[in-house]
Amino acid sequence: MISQSLTLAWRSLIPLRNSPGQLVGLLMQPVFMIVVFVYLFGGSGGDRAGAVLYMLPGVLTQVALIATISTGMNLATDIDNGVFDRFRTMPIARAAPLAGRILADLATLMVTIAMSLLIGYVVGFRVQTGPLEALAAVGLIVLFAFALSWGSAYLGLMIKSVTTMQSMATAVLLPLTFGSSAFIPATDMPGWLQWWMGVNPVSHLASALRGLMVGGLHAGDVWISLGWTAAIAAVFVPLALRAYNRRVS
Amino acid sequence: MTYAIEAEGLVKRYGDKVALAGIDLRARTGTVLGVLGPNGAGKTTAVRILATLQTPDEGSARVGGFDVRKQAAKVRELIGLTGQYASVDEQLTGAQNLVMMGRLLGLPRDQARARAAELLDRFGLTEAGGRKAGGYSGGMRRRLDLAASLVSSPRVLFLDEPTTGLDPHARNELWQVVRELVADGVTVLLTTQYLEEADQLADDILLIDGGRVAASGTPGELKATAGGHRLEVRPLHERDTEKVVTIMGGLTVPIHDLAEAPALLRKLDDAGIVLAEHALRLPSLDDVFLSLTGVSK
Repeated sequence: MISQSLTLAWRSLIPLRNSPGQLVGLLMQPVFMIVVFVYLFGGSGGDRAGAVLYMLPGVLTQVALIATISTGMNLATDIDNGVFDRFRTMPIARAAPLAGRILADLATLMVTIAMSLLIGYVVGFRVQTGPLEALAAVGLIVLFAFALSWGSAYLGLMIKSVTTMQSMATAVLLPLTFGSSAFIPATDMPGWLQWWMGVNPVSHLASALRGLMVGGLHAGDVWISLGWTAAIAAVFVPLALRAYNRRVS
Repeated sequence: MTYAIEAEGLVKRYGDKVALAGIDLRARTGTVLGVLGPNGAGKTTAVRILATLQTPDEGSARVGGFDVRKQAAKVRELIGLTGQYASVDEQLTGAQNLVMMGRLLGLPRDQARARAAELLDRFGLTEAGGRKAGGYSGGMRRRLDLAASLVSSPRVLFLDEPTTGLDPHARNELWQVVRELVADGVTVLLTTQYLEEADQLADDILLIDGGRVAASGTPGELKATAGGHRLEVRPLHERDTEKVVTIMGGLTVPIHDLAEAPALLRKLDDAGIVLAEHALRLPSLDDVFLSLTGVSK
């Protein structure tokens, strides 16, 4: 079961090697966001260094959450083109295709985060706290994205159509990420948006990351983020497993 | 006689729609069973049940002596499936697809690579092996798909409409592979809409329509059920058609006594009609299909 899952994880990561373009794509996403938010929007006041410190945790949050879409997309693709059925006719563990997928996406997520940090470093982002806090920040975002990727898996298993899956996931994620304090502080916003940004878990997640890496941490943000992580996992892990079992039985 | 595939009374419903209304089938070990039927006849559903992808609502089936429901894991060690729904990863190269299959089946890395190379060679894909499967032509993809099912050296192979959409050359290649597999003792269940394909490959044919077995037997037996010989003629000149019909009663007529045919041809000759073609033959599976299902192919 473990070696089968690893084989399938390997299989899911090959496209990155086969098409360097995809790797460049992973790299371009944080580059693009840093350019847009730091240089286009953030730098208008002249304080680029401050903007980088504020934006990078937001960018990290954004790319990690967007990366979760691929779990459901890839599951939907496998189901759609019959690869999934081929696995089902083989003498392999029932859970291996799902476990392989999730392992691979976890690996991709790590790469994405590492690249965002690297690009952050290039544009001048330095961790202002300590290595432990920075590690905790990475752990927090990985946990949250991992929980969310089960939601993505659930969507992918239920929806089956790759394009519908993609547009639905984007429709869910965009208001969560852009409608949060990940990039812009809530203080300048109209009241209804401030309210939404306050309840939006992504705001707390981005604040927690910022607190852990830049300083000025509110412990509450970490707890709220962990609470959301647990809640998302509690809802979607069973749902995804049930949908998966229904598909493989 | 042993049967590699046996099923009794398979029933499958999707809501109100009955896909299979009680199908019995048996494939002798080391032979090809052709399951023939129009679109929507239930061919794919039957294959999916036998390949453990779906469970029947009623009835039972065994592959290699193992119950497809209760011993699915055992069945999966014996079978390979290729067709409309079993497929390859388009993001991977042909070789990577096959190596993945080998690794999943527990082969060590170098053995998985060797097996992949061997199958690529057998299917004429060695050159394409390093390219992504997404860029393959329909024929190449189908061959890779079949190669992927063969990594495990299955004893029972399900081919669900394996040649649909292939050009005649690619189709002939695939037929040749099927014949080689059968020569090695593999049992093949092949579904097809093409009567010629069943005629070419199958030792036994099951004709299904509307989820029921309409007829079964060897290709020869089935043709015999549609009646005896018939004579077909085509006049060289269109204007003679009417005269031919007057003399023979039609352009294709049943022949009850084999001496009738030359007599009829002589009469046409006497009337000065030149024929472009004439043939005396047993009914084709097309005729069987038509007479049993009322569906013209």
